[in-house]
Amino acid sequence: MVQTVEGMVTIVQESRFQLIDDDGVAHLFLLSRHAAAEPADLAPLQHRQTRIRVHYRKARNLIGQMASSIGVLD
Amino acid sequence: MEMHPRVREQTRSEFDTLIPDESELTANVRIEPGRAYGFFTDTTVCIGCKACEVACKEWNNLPADNIGLTGESYDNTGALSANTWRHVSFIEKPVLRHDLQQPFQSGWLMMSDVCKHCHNAPCLEACPTGAIFKTEFDTVVVQQDICNGCGYCVPACPFGVVDVSKVDGKAHKCTLCYDRLKGGLEPACAKSCPTDSIQFGELHKLQARAQERVAELHALGVANAYLYGTPGAAGATGDLQYLNAFFLLTDRPETYNLPAAPTRPANRVAPALTSGLATVAGLAVAALALFARRW
Repeated sequence: MVQTVEGMVTIVQESRFQLIDDDGVAHLFLLSRHAAAEPADLAPLQHRQTRIRVHYRKARNLIGQMASSIGVLD
Repeated sequence: MEMHPRVREQTRSEFDTLIPDESELTANVRIEPGRAYGFFTDTTVCIGCKACEVACKEWNNLPADNIGLTGESYDNTGALSANTWRHVSFIEKPVLRHDLQQPFQSGWLMMSDVCKHCHNAPCLEACPTGAIFKTEFDTVVVQQDICNGCGYCVPACPFGVVDVSKVDGKAHKCTLCYDRLKGGLEPACAKSCPTDSIQFGELHKLQARAQERVAELHALGVANAYLYGTPGAAGATGDLQYLNAFFLLTDRPETYNLPAAPTRPANRVAPALTSGLATVAGLAVAALALFARRW
């Protein structure tokens, strides 16, 4: 089931990123192979502290989420 | 206790910026491009605390994987994978010290496994896109924007280190904290190791230190201590020359899930190609002979 969360990216490592939502909760995401984004797109989102919306699914056998799309809100 | 002279320069307990060349304070080594760096893992002092696993996951933002119980003692990660770049293995043995151990007391061997950052790295040689490269610190790193997820590096690695992630479809492995090295920081796992089982430093100095440690252990009566991955030793076989991440072991390599004699797959290309061509030539000659007899 696809879920959505909004917030700002605080950590980027390769295709993994951490998003802090509006309640201050940290979420760990892995960029899905089907996402229309590359790992290189993540660092600018962190540097500019851009508010984003992430659509994600739960990743199998991982304590992390699989980001299927990222939308810029600002 | 011996103190690095630079420690006196940093008297404040809080810092608003990075300490320049912090690795000088934490590992007594200055990180400079063009020099070879690596890990020396002394398994005799590993206590299996998994601080290295946690530090690696924290710094690299890696998710916990392999959820559930493995059934393998205190081992919860199971093996190195796309999301686990440090793996502490727990090897339970019936008796380690015949003279000191109580009856029915089990003995433990613990080892923090990691990518070996081979000198002649087979994963690098197998990579068709050039995504795997040697850094200025003589370490082996996968560039994520170039990796196409073909997975050739996975069977090429003689240690079973490289793994392709099922989520992003790209190859992942330890980078020896490439980003930290560029910032003058010691790799996260080595910095977090409470017993200095994982030591980071310049490779030739680590190798010398490891030789001294083996001699010390031999003098203490641990006759089975030996190095795995230093030039000419076990683990550096098959034209790999040496491993930038090498180990001090006290049992056979297989006990630690390490290959006894790893080899460089590139060395098998010429004989495989020759035997293939010879087979084709032989079949062609046989076919010609058959047809010539008919005519």
